[in-house]
Amino acid sequence: MSIEIKGVNKMFGDFVALDDVNVSLPTGQLTALLGPSGGGKSTLLRIIAGLDAADSGTITIEGTNATTLPPQKRNVGFVFQHYAVFKHMTVAKNVAFGLEIRKRPKDEIAARVDELLKLVHLSQFAHRLPSQLSGGQRQRMALARALAVEPTVLLLDEPFGALDAKVRKELRDWLRRLHDEVHVTTVFVTHDQEEAMEVADEIVVINNGRVEQVGTPDQLYDEPANDFVMGFLGEITTLNGVMLRPHDIHVSLTPEVAGAAEGTISRLLRVGFEVRATVLTDDGEEVTVILTRTHARQLGLETGVRVWVTPAAGALTMPSLTAAAG
Amino acid sequence: MASPSSTAVANRSQVVTWVLRVLVVGYLLMLVAWPTAYVVKHTFAGGMTGIQDALADPDVVHALKLTAQIAVAAVIINTVFGVGMSLLLVRHTFIGKRALSVLIDLPLSVSPVVVGLALVLVYNGRFGWFGPFLEDHGLQIIFAKPGMIMATCFVILPLVIREVVPVLEELGDDQEQAARSLGASGRQTFLRITLPSIKWAVVYGVVLSLARALGEFGAVKVVAGNVGGETQVATVLVQQKYQNFQQETAYSVAFMLVFAAVLCLIVVALLRPQDSQK
Repeated sequence: MSIEIKGVNKMFGDFVALDDVNVSLPTGQLTALLGPSGGGKSTLLRIIAGLDAADSGTITIEGTNATTLPPQKRNVGFVFQHYAVFKHMTVAKNVAFGLEIRKRPKDEIAARVDELLKLVHLSQFAHRLPSQLSGGQRQRMALARALAVEPTVLLLDEPFGALDAKVRKELRDWLRRLHDEVHVTTVFVTHDQEEAMEVADEIVVINNGRVEQVGTPDQLYDEPANDFVMGFLGEITTLNGVMLRPHDIHVSLTPEVAGAAEGTISRLLRVGFEVRATVLTDDGEEVTVILTRTHARQLGLETGVRVWVTPAAGALTMPSLTAAAG
Repeated sequence: MASPSSTAVANRSQVVTWVLRVLVVGYLLMLVAWPTAYVVKHTFAGGMTGIQDALADPDVVHALKLTAQIAVAAVIINTVFGVGMSLLLVRHTFIGKRALSVLIDLPLSVSPVVVGLALVLVYNGRFGWFGPFLEDHGLQIIFAKPGMIMATCFVILPLVIREVVPVLEELGDDQEQAARSLGASGRQTFLRITLPSIKWAVVYGVVLSLARALGEFGAVKVVAGNVGGETQVATVLVQQKYQNFQQETAYSVAFMLVFAAVLCLIVVALLRPQDSQK
């Protein structure tokens, strides 16, 4: 195991940022720390890097107890949400910074910088200042800078958070491919579940300072440990007192299955290939259903039509807390 | 194109603009430019002889040298402490931080004469708090150079800090954290990242404090012995010569002080645009 986090607690005044966090992050993998804003994931990442100190608990990086080590002794690469570029240095100088601090020979530094700039596709910008680069280019430069020192772990704090949607998607794919090339243990923080599921080998879901679940994207989606994880990873709706995904609901115009809930379509919204229907059941539940446009047309769905809804065969369901309480 | 009413508005605003211009320029002229020009005019009333005569007086030469020495020493000390205190104020939280921040502005609000008196009370050799102890160990503060440097330091204290603090605040600590995570020690981070980022603020602060230090009068006059040729700085010399009816010398020395201060400001003005182009 590359990074072992044991019993880590962190308070900011009265606010509990991390509450007895225990996680092991495997070597060579790309792990996402996923959770809502203010859930403690960035704090955990900064504690791993040594930029913040935990109130209690230990951090072990590749077998070395790093709990009390200052950041410069941990050999981690850190990429910040807002790039944190060295504004007064050229792109090449930025990337060379860690190597110059380590007093490597000049020609070795030059060769390594060259190689890294090629890796992040910035070779032609080597002599520009960061202010002349776009956001996406700056973040790639920051990544090359962090990789230059050959870190044991690479930590990225919402690396694509400040970029626009298109660039964010490009960089996401690019990060995945880069990781497949360099294989450095990578941990990145995100609040975007799609980003985490697309890029990560493993996801750690953090909420209110606690680890809710650890697993592969498929495990998390198919076997969520609780309703928070289920709700955070995708849309959910309630039918007959169970929670399930809106696209896992079977709609028919006749009572085909025993126990199907009868109701009226109260609202129909078409988004591209998708149709979102709101069914008001006779029991007073509002059920959201997602179907393809073709399917909705086959059934002839319109507002006011009577329908019967049941969980589709093989659907993931979970008892609803609100239904149990009510 | 313009309708009559909009022309009227434009005319009126033009009138207002002109009145404002005349007012501001006139104010500056009466308050700053004319008196300064008068000093220059008097200095060169007899060609270069005024300055030549002044420079032939050993007291004048000594006073100018002393002023330069004190200003340079005070500025160096103030730069080191100013940058250090700015870092402390911006990058660290501690009890009494706001009190310290207010204290730094004190020299701007307290009269320099009061500063001088306070220093005399603490450091004089006969009845001060520290003075007798220091004098027993061979260090005279009041009526000597150390006291004059201290008084100047006190007066110029806020100038570097007030330039550097806003720049440090705007800079944030992202770059410093990045440098730390890349393996730089605190010293390396300061020298390679922080200092290059705030260098223009420091330069500006240094030049401002140099100009202020050259012209300091009240505080230095109180702590210095003001003995001609020994502990008399240029500003005090100007006053003394003027009162002794050696007005030509007074004007010449005054002109040299103005010239040095203006030179400082020109240097800054020349440096600044290069900064913004970059």
